[in-house]
Amino acid sequence: MSNDFPRRKIIHVDMDAFYASVEQLDHPELRGKPIAVGGSSKRGVVAAASYEARKFGVRSAMSSVIAQRNCPELIFVKPRFDRYREISHQIRNIFYEYTDLVEPLSLDEAYLDVTVNKKGNPSATLIAQEIRQRIFDTTGLNASAGISINKFIAKVASDVNKPNGQKTVNPEEVLQFLEDLEIRKFYGVGKVTAEKMYKLGIFTGKDLKQKTEQFLEEHFGKSGRYYYHVVRGIHTSPVKPHRIPKSVGAERTFSENLSSEIFMLERLDHIASELERRLKKSKTAGKTVTLKIKYSDFTLNTRSKTLPYYIAEKELILETAKELLYQEKLQNSVRLLGISLANLNTEKDTKTQKKETVSVQLKFDF
Amino acid sequence: MKFIVSSTYLLKQLQVLGGVINNSNTLPILDNFLFDLKQDKLTVSASDLETTMSSVLNVDSDNEGTIAVPAKLLLETLKTFPEQPLTFVVEDNNTVEISSNHGKYALAYADGAEFPKAVELANPSSTSIMGDILATAIDKTIFAAGNDDLRPVMSGVFFQFSPESLTFVATDAHKLVKYQRTDVTASQVAEFIMPKKPLTLLKGILAGSESDVLIEYNDSNAKFSFENTELICRLIDGKYPNYEAVIPKENPNQLSISRTQFLSSVKRVAIFSNKTTHQIRLKIAGAELNISAEDIDYSNKAEERLTCSYQGDDMQIGFNSRFLTEMLNNLNSDDVSLEMSLPNRAGILTPIDGLDEGENVTMLVMPVMLNS
Repeated sequence: MSNDFPRRKIIHVDMDAFYASVEQLDHPELRGKPIAVGGSSKRGVVAAASYEARKFGVRSAMSSVIAQRNCPELIFVKPRFDRYREISHQIRNIFYEYTDLVEPLSLDEAYLDVTVNKKGNPSATLIAQEIRQRIFDTTGLNASAGISINKFIAKVASDVNKPNGQKTVNPEEVLQFLEDLEIRKFYGVGKVTAEKMYKLGIFTGKDLKQKTEQFLEEHFGKSGRYYYHVVRGIHTSPVKPHRIPKSVGAERTFSENLSSEIFMLERLDHIASELERRLKKSKTAGKTVTLKIKYSDFTLNTRSKTLPYYIAEKELILETAKELLYQEKLQNSVRLLGISLANLNTEKDTKTQKKETVSVQLKFDF
Repeated sequence: MKFIVSSTYLLKQLQVLGGVINNSNTLPILDNFLFDLKQDKLTVSASDLETTMSSVLNVDSDNEGTIAVPAKLLLETLKTFPEQPLTFVVEDNNTVEISSNHGKYALAYADGAEFPKAVELANPSSTSIMGDILATAIDKTIFAAGNDDLRPVMSGVFFQFSPESLTFVATDAHKLVKYQRTDVTASQVAEFIMPKKPLTLLKGILAGSESDVLIEYNDSNAKFSFENTELICRLIDGKYPNYEAVIPKENPNQLSISRTQFLSSVKRVAIFSNKTTHQIRLKIAGAELNISAEDIDYSNKAEERLTCSYQGDDMQIGFNSRFLTEMLNNLNSDDVSLEMSLPNRAGILTPIDGLDEGENVTMLVMPVMLNS
């Protein structure tokens, strides 16, 4: 392992079965039982499953019906996001005692860059140990951690000794670790990509490493280049403490599949209202409207349109969304509709100040 | 070649024709008036190759001949004379000598054969319209035409003739005016795009004129004939944008207000608007119209409230104040109506009163999107 890029110390902290653990913590009667946080309705999905439930094959994002089938004893608990947020906040405060370079990925996951840290501790492994202990002392919850030289490896490593464990991949071990890693464990490789990799004879990091950059780019496009570098231990993405959201969206799964646009208009109205509320809350406006359509066979269709100006008002969002809806015939009945707004006016910090005075003279659409 | 003509009569005609002549010409002959004398009829022409205009003057003569006389020199001279007869005599040494009560002046002339000939219209269609109506149609529309060289079709006024009506449309993609007369019609359906320059000339000459103008046209040229004058011009080539498609059909929000009040408020508030965008904001709720502008760079701000009659949802919409001012200035009615649908859709401005029978004016203006 050469030193041709700056050596960093990155920790990925991941709470174990976060939502489920919080519920078990707050409700002692649920402890030791298989529980799932999420809706139990026909169309509900599991947001998180306790380790007891995972033994039965209950996974997050699984439909509640299937989960119940896998584990008849499964107890469904309604999510309480405010409570999770509160605990997440406590945990984050612990992180900030060590470094300001904290990039939260969600309520239960974060990257920390401890190359330079407030405690002056040179060992990231010991810091991770300390942080996990502090989390347990403060909240009574278990966390796992991965420690390595970049975000990618730290993320993968945190999974290795889960639950309630940690794994350090030292700089000299990085290449071996990646070579031995199963391809489906690569962060960014999902079910579909993994299948594709298998067909190309790629099963481990070692197989992946043997492919040329050109080959990977041909088969996986832009991600191909990412895989090529990542398997060589190159992942330069910094820990971004102030992650600015790239898009704001809202979506809705329907209890019954919808087959006519007329019924969808009413739903879009609700979704647009919700989106407007979220935009108001984050004080943003965006230019690109994307309509997401999930058909009853789970195939996904997205349609987007970029306007020459920023919008945040419901009427305008709805108008563009309707246009996108009617742009093409629906191929099937629809189970989910979503609208998101990207190209937000918060994106480029340097420009935002000037943008206050920016206004766009509209033209006739000749 | 020799003729005698009244100095003020000649000046008056030449001043009108002089409008055709460009300030700088690549073809030097175009700096001249063409004098074509046939007994007591003197036809004077001016041209810029695109547009040629000529008038027939009554003079005292029994000669014939064709010469091109420097326009600037002649106009400058004529302006200084009090009314008197002038005698023009063409000398052998390529000069024309003018004799007045005060003295003699010699101007070098060019051979009239060098002057470009006006095109003849092959197989023209024609329609006839009262001079003042044409002048009004031009006046109502021409200000909205564009100046964009990349979209030459929008730099002119679109003439749309049909057996039901005559329609004149101009737009620069930000604002649009449609002026329609159902009391004047054409025998056939025809469409052509007239360039601005000849229209400006026609507007000046025809304002208030009750005589008929004969309009003849084919695919490439149009000719306007009235009294002793003819104007022939080349049309703008190309397809005019489908303007009907951009006129919003459903406009649930309708505002009625006194035109002069609205105009003066817009003008006043606009002084405080940003100097590059000229943007003002209209906020309408109930029977109150709130007009505001802000120039953040200089911390200038203005706000006015007007009472209006309004039907529709409360709304906020931004406009370029210059467009609104131009449009409101161009109307003559006491009250105007502004119809709107959404803050990113065109507003439709129409006069509520003061129109002639069969006269119809529709103005469209695209809003400015506010980034807040």
